[in-house]
Amino acid sequence: MSASLSSARRQEAATGYLFALPYLLLFLVFMVGPMAYGFYISLHEWHILGRQKPFVGLANYRALLADDLFGIAMLNTAYFALLTVIPGNALSLLLAMGLNARIRGETALKTAFYLPVVLSVAVVAIIWRWAYSTEFGWINHYLRLLGLPPAAWLNSPKLAMPSLALMSIWWGAGGQMLIYLAGLRGIPEELYEAAMIDGAGARARFRHVTLPMLRPTLLFCLVMAVIGSSQVFGQSYILTAGGPLYSTLTVALYMYQTGFSLYRLGYACAVAYALFVVVLGITLVQFRLLYARREGEAR
Amino acid sequence: MSRPPTNTPAPPGALAARLRRSRAALGAVLGLGIALLALLPASCGRAPGTVAEGGAIRFWNGFTGPDGATMERMTKRFTAETGIPVRMQIIPWATYYDKLTLSLAYGDAPDLFVCHANRIAEFARYQVFAPIAPLLAADPSFDVDDIIPRVRSAATYCGTQVALPLDCHPQGLYYNARLFREAGIVDAGGRAAPPRTLDEFLAAARRLTRDEDGDGQPEQWGFAFTWLRTNWITFLSQFGAGILTPDLSRAALAEPPALEATRLMRDLIYRYRVAPKPEGIDAWMGFRQGRVAMAIEGIYMISSLQTQPGLSYAGAPVPRFGPNPGVWGGSHMLCLPRDLPAERQARAWRLMRYLSDHSLDWAAGGQVPVRRSLLRTARFRRMTVQYQFSHQLPYVVFEPPSPKSNEVTPFVDSAIQAVLLGIQSPRAAAADASRRINQVLERP
Repeated sequence: MSASLSSARRQEAATGYLFALPYLLLFLVFMVGPMAYGFYISLHEWHILGRQKPFVGLANYRALLADDLFGIAMLNTAYFALLTVIPGNALSLLLAMGLNARIRGETALKTAFYLPVVLSVAVVAIIWRWAYSTEFGWINHYLRLLGLPPAAWLNSPKLAMPSLALMSIWWGAGGQMLIYLAGLRGIPEELYEAAMIDGAGARARFRHVTLPMLRPTLLFCLVMAVIGSSQVFGQSYILTAGGPLYSTLTVALYMYQTGFSLYRLGYACAVAYALFVVVLGITLVQFRLLYARREGEAR
Repeated sequence: MSRPPTNTPAPPGALAARLRRSRAALGAVLGLGIALLALLPASCGRAPGTVAEGGAIRFWNGFTGPDGATMERMTKRFTAETGIPVRMQIIPWATYYDKLTLSLAYGDAPDLFVCHANRIAEFARYQVFAPIAPLLAADPSFDVDDIIPRVRSAATYCGTQVALPLDCHPQGLYYNARLFREAGIVDAGGRAAPPRTLDEFLAAARRLTRDEDGDGQPEQWGFAFTWLRTNWITFLSQFGAGILTPDLSRAALAEPPALEATRLMRDLIYRYRVAPKPEGIDAWMGFRQGRVAMAIEGIYMISSLQTQPGLSYAGAPVPRFGPNPGVWGGSHMLCLPRDLPAERQARAWRLMRYLSDHSLDWAAGGQVPVRRSLLRTARFRRMTVQYQFSHQLPYVVFEPPSPKSNEVTPFVDSAIQAVLLGIQSPRAAAADASRRINQVLERP
C-alpha cells in the first residue's frame, strides 16, 4: 500500500513537472537561451551582415569603459531613476492613502488613476508630445496665460529628462498605487487603535505603524521601480531619440541604437550585460538594506 | 459544497482517479509542447533568393507618402505593359533598414529594394549587393552614361557599380514669394527675387525678419534651419569642407574651413538675428504657415507645400554662402541582393530599367531625375521647383561614402545642435564630434 502510494506520488510529481514543461520550454527557448547566446555574442565582433564574427574576448567590455557615450547613458539612466523612483512611489503612496480613507467615489478615482497604466508607452508618448509641444501644447498655453514664458520641454537639454520623468510618473503611478492600497488594507486596524490610545498623532501613526507594516510592499515597489527605470526605453525612443545633445540617451536606448541602427550586436550585447550587472547589484543592495533592517527589528 | 484546500493529502483511491483524469490532460499538454517545438523551425527564414509566390517581383521601399502612390501607379503600369507582376511592400523608413538588413543577413530578401545613397557603402562593405555591370552589359540599349556622373559615382563602391540611381533629391532654397514681394525684394519685373549670394541672402533675411510687437521675439523670421545635419553639410561643402577628410580616414569638422562654415551658421542666429534657435520651433511648419520666409530643404518636401492652401512658395538654388558652390543631396538607389538567381535578376532589371526610363513620372512627386536626357525635356522644365533645384546637380554633395557613415552621423547631429543652441562653441563642438568620429573610424 505504502509502495503504491509512493509510486502514485512520484507519478503526481512527474505530472506536475510535465504540466510545467511547456512554460519551462518557452522559458528556456525564449529567455535562458537568448541570454546565454547574448553573452556569447558579446564576446565577438558581431555585425549582422558580417560573414566573419571573430572572437574578441572581453574587448567589447573593455571598450565600454572607454566609451563616453555609455558613461553618459549610465548617468542619464541614474538621473531618470532619481527623478522617478522616489517621487513616483511617494505619489503612489499618497494616492493610496487618500483612497484608503474610504472616501466617496473611491472606485471612480481608482479607475481614473489606474487608466494611464493600461495605455502603451507609444500612446502615452504621443499624448505627452502634444502636451509638451512648444508651440501648440496645453502646458505652454497655460504658462502664457499666466504671463510666464513658454518652455522647450523636449528640446532643451536641461528640461528633456525631467519632462520624460514627469510623463513616466503619470503613466505608472496608478499601478503602484493599487499595490500600496492592497498593502495598506492589510495593516490591522487594531495597530492604529492602539497607537491612538497611546496618543500617537497622524504623523506618528504613519511613521511608526504604516511605514514599518508597509515595508515588504515598499521593497517590492522600489525594486520594481528601479528595475523599470533602469530599462527606460520607449519614452526617449519615441519622444526625443536620446537628444537633445544626448540628454535623454539611456542605456537601453543606447543598446538599441548600437544593435539595431549600427548593427554592432556584439557591443550591444556587452551594453546589455553591463546594465544587467548594475541592476542586479542595485537590487541586491536594496534587498539587503531593507531585509537587514527587518531582521534587526526581529531581534 | 466547499472545495478542500489544495495541500490536503488525498486518499490513495482518489489520487489514482485524479491521475487517470490527468492523463488526458497530460496528453494535451505534451501535444501542445511538441506543437510548439515543431513551430520553431517553421519560423526560421527562407533561403535567399527564394522564388516569390506567383513569380512576382518582390520590391521593397519606404515610400509611405504621396510618393508611394506614385510608385504604385508606376509599377502597375509596368505590370500592364510587361505582364510581370510586382509585389511592392512599403515599409516606413524608420524601420525599413532594420527589416532590410535582417532579410539580407538571414534570408527572405526582396528581389529589388531601395537604398539611400548614404547607406550604399555601409551595405556594400558586406557585399550584400549584386553588381550591376553584368545587367548593363546584357542591355546595351540602356545608356549608363546618361546618368549624371556625380550621382552614378554615389552608386559605386570600390570601383563596382552596385545600384542604379533612380533620382536625386538635392536641397534648395524654398522661399515665400508673397513675403518677398511685400518686403520689396523683387526683380525689375516685380517678381520675387531669391538671393544668390551671402550678402543678398543677409539683406533679404534682415528685411524679412519682423518683430511686430517689439518684444524681441520676431513673429516672422527671414530664415530658419530645418534638418540641421543636411543644412550643415550644405554650408560645409560651400567652404570646401566636409564631415570627413577626402580619404575618409579622419574627421574634418575641426579644420578651419569647417569652422568658418559653422560660425556662419551660428552667426545667422546670434549675430545677424535672422534665424531662430532650433529649439521648440518646427521650422518647416513655420515656412508652410508663412512665418518663415526662407528655408533650405530637400526637393521631396515640395509635396507638403503643394497641399498647403494659400502658400505662395517658390524654389531656387541655394545661395553661395562660401567660395564654392555646394549643396547636400540624397538619392534613392535601386539595388538587387547578392544571391538573387540570374533569371530573377533579369526580371528585376526590367523593372529597374522601366522606373529609370519613366523617372519623370517619379520626379513629378518631388524628385529630380538623374538621366540627362530627361532633365532636358520640356515636361521637366514645367516642374518649376524641381527644375530650379536640378541646376545644382553638377555640384551636389552626398554624405561621405564611408562604410562608417551611418555610425558617425549621430555625432554630427549632436555637434551642430550644440552650436546652434548656443551650448558649445563651434570649435568645442567640432572637437568633441571629431574625437568620437575618429574613435569610430579607428575601429576595424
